[in-house]
Amino acid sequence: MKSKKFYAKMASAIAVSGLLLAGCSSSDEGGEGATSGDKIEISIFQGKVEFKEQFENLAEKYEEENPEIDIKIETVGGGTEYAPVLKSKFSSGDEPNIFNVTGPQDVIDYKESLTDLASTDAAKAALDGTLATVTDGEQILGLPFNQEGYGLIYNKTVFEEAGINPDEILSFEDLEKAVKTLDSKKDDLGLEAVFALPAKEAWVLGDHLANAFLAPEFDHDVMNSFNADTVTFEKGDEMKRFVDLQNEYSVQPVLSLDYSQQVEEYFSLQKVALIQQGNWIFPSVEQMDPEFAQNIGVLPIPVEGFEGSIPVGVPNYWAVNNNFDEEVVEASKDFLDWMYTSETGKEAVLNDFKFIPAYEGYDTSKISDPLSQDIYNYASEGKTIGWIFAGYPSNPWGTGVIGPNIQKYLAGEMTWEEVQADSIAKWEEERSK
Amino acid sequence: MRNRDLSFWLFLAPVLLGLTLVVIVPLIYGTVYSFTDWNGLKATKFLGFENYLNLFHDKEFLDSIVFTVGFSIVSVVLLNILGLGLAILVTRKIKSNNFLRTIFFMPNLIGGLILGFIWQFIFVSVFSDIGEALKVDALQGWLSTTSTGFWGLVILTCWQMAGYIMIIYIAYLQNIPNELIEAAKIDGANSWQRFRNITFPLVAPAFTVSMFLTLSSSFKIYDQNLSLTNGGPFESTQMVAMEIVKTAFSANEMAYGQAKAVVFFIIVSIIALTQVYYNKKREVDM
Repeated sequence: MKSKKFYAKMASAIAVSGLLLAGCSSSDEGGEGATSGDKIEISIFQGKVEFKEQFENLAEKYEEENPEIDIKIETVGGGTEYAPVLKSKFSSGDEPNIFNVTGPQDVIDYKESLTDLASTDAAKAALDGTLATVTDGEQILGLPFNQEGYGLIYNKTVFEEAGINPDEILSFEDLEKAVKTLDSKKDDLGLEAVFALPAKEAWVLGDHLANAFLAPEFDHDVMNSFNADTVTFEKGDEMKRFVDLQNEYSVQPVLSLDYSQQVEEYFSLQKVALIQQGNWIFPSVEQMDPEFAQNIGVLPIPVEGFEGSIPVGVPNYWAVNNNFDEEVVEASKDFLDWMYTSETGKEAVLNDFKFIPAYEGYDTSKISDPLSQDIYNYASEGKTIGWIFAGYPSNPWGTGVIGPNIQKYLAGEMTWEEVQADSIAKWEEERSK
Repeated sequence: MRNRDLSFWLFLAPVLLGLTLVVIVPLIYGTVYSFTDWNGLKATKFLGFENYLNLFHDKEFLDSIVFTVGFSIVSVVLLNILGLGLAILVTRKIKSNNFLRTIFFMPNLIGGLILGFIWQFIFVSVFSDIGEALKVDALQGWLSTTSTGFWGLVILTCWQMAGYIMIIYIAYLQNIPNELIEAAKIDGANSWQRFRNITFPLVAPAFTVSMFLTLSSSFKIYDQNLSLTNGGPFESTQMVAMEIVKTAFSANEMAYGQAKAVVFFIIVSIIALTQVYYNKKREVDM
């Protein structure tokens, strides 16, 4: 009998304190409709921390032009954290109206919630090839954020002093020759080494570096890599010699060298002449040395058959949630349209967000930083290699399989043949599940 | 037995509620999900023990267990030696006693994540500069190999936890009656004999406490691991907690990660329950 009383008391105590705590929480969020009063509320959940403030400013401008709209923006950043938070929002019923999807797997996972955006102006203005990931038959389920690209970012002054013409570096042999020249003169040029290879970062090796040499076998289409049962390493030897070249002429030891050391400590302070990175490093370099930041450019990654090209792709897409009233869904679409196709929006995209636009109709001479300008030039001349790493198997193959395998190769614990064989085996294993 | 009236339960309720919502409910949910193919959004079918059976030939998971066990053994031994050493040092009659206690305890107040970044800088940059100046090759390339990563983690953990363990030993050391030491002195025991035959047996109960405390905390380490090595190079310094997070959030296999977490939970509970059992036994003995 005693225990019965015990449980009764405990239950009532929990109930009472539950009531007390409930009193503390703020009033209800308005539930499914998401309309507060006369205003239409659009909640945006996005993952790009770098342009949080600029994006919020633009949203405010939109609210001024459209007083009936109320935009709420929530930013959770850094790529690794966004996905789980979005998931928990969906499973707890606190779904945003507009959110981000990054690759084909996201599109499949969230398919039931994605609105068809084919009718929007932005979708019509999107550049060729930028919609492949989010196209499902006739439907277009997402709108590209921007374009990003990576290659070998170089120090223009050092190249000039060493008497190397960057425009002539196209093939691997050209690059090797230039690297050797730089290496022989490194004391005069004040360099510690030619490269800084951040082998601690599995994504630099597994996602970016490997992508450049795997894209050709998937015909540069992320959907091909997403659906492929296997990977063959057609250009495995080229990948190996590119890894070897960066490693041989890099600051050592590469395995404890990370991204911030690569970009800030070595490249921005001009201790190395070349790093494999993308246009996203510009703000960091500018913060370290604004003058130097205007004096850098992008060299192509030497892939045979695609000399003079760099990998360019869309890192992220906007998606509109269709689990809401028609009115809210339409308002969400209008906002995205306005952001990418109105004059105010376009200006913000170029000047404030500092994006490389993924849409037609932009005055691209206004792209503000030299890296983005270079990458836009490669893209508009069609000298691009596809971004297929979003279609890697999700074990995750880039940062969990081939990245660590290349690290083992660099540490001398695996031969290159083993790197390929193990990476192929893990790809097939994941795809046969 | 104390009289457990309504006010007793009212005072207890907030904590009880918190514990239920934050620990017990998720534990039950998680265990249920570990038997399904849950991907974070929906679970479509019941898999039974499939996730658990897969664990036994998951090389990465097994490797991380081996690494964690190795790390725990080494750091438990070192931590207790260091903790006791520091405690003996600061219970001597030296002037800077209190100051030293504060200094030794301080690392414990800094968050693991920040400590990891501080030590990363020390291992990678400071070590290599010192090594260059002194021409010692062993100080080059720290954290770029598995063994330096391992020792890096051990050093970091010892530096952080030793002060805390020291406090426990101090408490026991100060409880040793002075008469015993004095009597031994009069009998002609030298300082080593006094330590070996009097101090040591009397602080023995502190070993049990400290041992299990350090054991369970080294098992659960995540933030230091994340910021110091992030599992690198090539995922060879990845501990169990980190392996679970990677399975769940980067490989996106929520249910499978959950199964790993349940196994991990069982291992840690066994350690913790053993600790409680032995502590209780000691209390009776004394």
